[in-house]
Amino acid sequence: MHDLADRALNAAQLAGAAYADVRVVESRSQMVEVKNQRPSALQESAGLGIGVRVLVDGGWGFAASASADPAEAERCAALACRIARASARFRTKPIVLAPLAAKRATYETPLVRDPFRVSLAEKIDLLLDATRAMQGEPAIAVAQGTLRFWEEKKLFASSEGSRLEQRLVHSGAGICAYARDDRDLQWRSYPNAFGGQYEAAGWELVERLDLPGHAAETAATAAALLSAPQCPAGVATIILDGAQLSLQIHESCGHPAELDRVLGHEANYAGTSFLTPDHLGVLRYGSDVVNLVADATVPRGLGTFGFDDEGVPAQKVDLVREGRFVGYLTSRETAPMLGQASNGTMRAESWGHIPLIRMTNINLEPGPWTIDDLIADTADGILMTTNRSWSIDDRRYNFQFGTEVGWEIRNGKRGRMLKNCTYTGITPRFWNSCDAVCDAADWEIWGTANCGKGQPSQTMRTAQGASSARFREVEVGVGYGT
Amino acid sequence: MTTSVPEATDAGRPPFSLDEARAVLNEVLAASQAERTLAVLEARDESLTRFANNEIHQNVTSRGHRLTVQAVVGRRSGTASTERLDAGGLRQVADRALALARLSPEDKGLPEPAPPPDPVRASAVEAGGTFVPATAACTPEARAAAVAPLMAAAAGRGLNAAGALTTGSSALAVANTLGRFAYHPDSHSHFTCTVRSSDSSGWVNRHRRDWRALEVESLGEVALGKAERSRDPGEVPPGRYTVVLEPAAVADLVGFLAWLGLGAQSEQEGRSFLSGRMGERITGAGVTLMDDAFDPRSFGRPFDHEGTPRRRMTLIEDGIARAVVHDRRTALAAGTESTGHASPPPAVEGPIPYDLVLTPGDRSLDELIASTGRGILVTRLWYNRVVDAKRTLMTGMTRDGTFLIENGRLTRGLKNLRFNESVLGVLERAEAMGREAEPTVFDYVETCVVASALKVRDFHFTGVTRF
Repeated sequence: MHDLADRALNAAQLAGAAYADVRVVESRSQMVEVKNQRPSALQESAGLGIGVRVLVDGGWGFAASASADPAEAERCAALACRIARASARFRTKPIVLAPLAAKRATYETPLVRDPFRVSLAEKIDLLLDATRAMQGEPAIAVAQGTLRFWEEKKLFASSEGSRLEQRLVHSGAGICAYARDDRDLQWRSYPNAFGGQYEAAGWELVERLDLPGHAAETAATAAALLSAPQCPAGVATIILDGAQLSLQIHESCGHPAELDRVLGHEANYAGTSFLTPDHLGVLRYGSDVVNLVADATVPRGLGTFGFDDEGVPAQKVDLVREGRFVGYLTSRETAPMLGQASNGTMRAESWGHIPLIRMTNINLEPGPWTIDDLIADTADGILMTTNRSWSIDDRRYNFQFGTEVGWEIRNGKRGRMLKNCTYTGITPRFWNSCDAVCDAADWEIWGTANCGKGQPSQTMRTAQGASSARFREVEVGVGYGT
Repeated sequence: MTTSVPEATDAGRPPFSLDEARAVLNEVLAASQAERTLAVLEARDESLTRFANNEIHQNVTSRGHRLTVQAVVGRRSGTASTERLDAGGLRQVADRALALARLSPEDKGLPEPAPPPDPVRASAVEAGGTFVPATAACTPEARAAAVAPLMAAAAGRGLNAAGALTTGSSALAVANTLGRFAYHPDSHSHFTCTVRSSDSSGWVNRHRRDWRALEVESLGEVALGKAERSRDPGEVPPGRYTVVLEPAAVADLVGFLAWLGLGAQSEQEGRSFLSGRMGERITGAGVTLMDDAFDPRSFGRPFDHEGTPRRRMTLIEDGIARAVVHDRRTALAAGTESTGHASPPPAVEGPIPYDLVLTPGDRSLDELIASTGRGILVTRLWYNRVVDAKRTLMTGMTRDGTFLIENGRLTRGLKNLRFNESVLGVLERAEAMGREAEPTVFDYVETCVVASALKVRDFHFTGVTRF
């Protein structure tokens, strides 16, 4: 790896690069999926490649190859410089990077039990047990369990002298039961939608989740949804559980706080942001109880690492403090426009992609409420749990979400189950309606393994920490009746 | 034999030639100790020049390949993939797939591999002529020169242009131990642009195999014009409106049908909107939806990831549900033949129609607008997501060019609206269809939808965005 990086850096500098960085990335992944007692996926994947990013005459160039050999490293470096010169011809002002001290260091995801050392037989047996238990419920048409593991070993080397080696390991596990009758299809996931929970952790995550132990209840809930009443349409108080709130944070706080979006770099694809710089330090993004941080140092988060893909150390920064919007996610290119240094959020999907500003772990800090006290304090409302649908406009302002399950709350008690729960709102109005956030006992750092952004499109794993929270006067039940 | 990666200096050629691909696949099949083996080589060279704020801010090129091996032992299978194509890498991926297969539980639904193909069909497959050397040879200088006039025009008119011009080539090769071999080289180009003012935006999007056919400058003028015309947008309250959906907006809705149930796996599992409804009328009578990899406007491959030739499929005919697409597994379960729609192994989502074609009508876009007394023209939709799969209920937003139609004319831009609509309901309430169809490719799922504009009554908008 080091030799490849040296060859590429030398070639880039000889070709005229004022700045160059090289990422050599070796990756592997494993997916084990069982559906109705059938192994629907037993798959492993391995990759190795190199990506070279350069600044020449104030313009960016990037070239990458799956052939990680010295000649190809040099070809990529030279090609990146040629591309950068083409970029520079059409720039009004040169790109300038925020200063960064060179560093040599290593980082590894802490693991109790390396998931790549757990036998496939153990993994398959676990999913067979969990799906068998779900199939005990007669209304279940599909019982599915999934395990996913990723390992990424990467070397970052820059012409400024940084040389950083990291080994990042992510694990994911979950089950889902689909129930159907003649008219309807409903499903229930555990512990979360989109394949379950994902963490920067090892097999200990899978053990902690106890998928077989939750299978029967998951299936029973899916079946019960078929005959549950429809979520009413109107304006209501809602309590969102941490899993649903984590996606709300992802879409309505994380993305709009990405400074490249704010500056228009994503205007054609992912979109821009309502959090324009004139709002920084001024806008009442939420109520006083809303405190949001970007924390790349917190344990177990998919956005936890030693260094980002520009070599900037992991950091914890405020985005929203007591309801006021106070910070962005930044990079070495964008931070100087605010007179700041990068807060270390640049990540690339693979060796073949250029790093972009990505969410690290965007966390809503816990409040004082226990979940039981919060329900007891709610006279009339709906508790909504686990995402089923999500949509937000290109400025991250107008959103609509749906959840797998809801429960009526009447006079401080959880009542009957509701199906097809949806809610919609406008981001700052919604967060300003938040009047209670639950405590650390209810808080979890939820992984999102499928965040898309960029051209060419990149998929990134991020996380959002959240506990349950209450929101007043929210429009619910939208969409049905269409 | 040791297979080497093709020389990286070649321009104007696919990332792997037929002989190079065959050599890789033959070597990995020879290295496999499994009873039966399927090998898939996918390679892609892609370059992209991205601009924002009227300047180039990102400019990348990437050369990637992936070899996937599915090993079968009895009724057990395992899948492994690698980017390493040296002798050691090929041996390793074959061994790993076999090891996974041996550890797998029995799979009673596992199909046999595809037999050697009918030679007549095989020659048709190779005569596709889909690879355009000029697209593969496009340089960063040429891409920059192509987008420069648009950026200058936007700056000159006080507007802000952002977008991307992509050029590249790809190759897909599939082989198995029964002797099947299929190879398909392709080229692709894509231009997309959003032009913004302080309170409006316009958008264009075009895919072509030959990048010289993209007409970047004139397309850019469309986006510029929409941004200028939609300045100082008005607002209409949520409600039901007649809409004229431009081709991309139609594709944004119809494309989801591919994932909501036009594949046999979801139909067999009872999760599809089509489950139990085959032969019933599910849309308006004038709606015919095909999957056609051979439509010249689409970008289909002539065979699937099992090496089975793609069939043209009529999925909805004059509003009647007629068929779903199959791979070898779902075909075995249904007692029929694969239609050539297998996804990449391990195909957890099952077979997918990758090349949807909505049969066009006979009206121009201008005629659709002119025939509308009061309605809304929608350039594109954004962040569409499924609210209710069984009901094909979607939500999403309008974006980058939403206009009020009054007395058959576009009178002003509108603030963006949120909709909640059933896709089948939209096709039920379609009153007229355009004649000029355009392909829209969803880059994250690689589904292409060829669709023309659609005039729909009572389209349900449920919210409005005020910035």
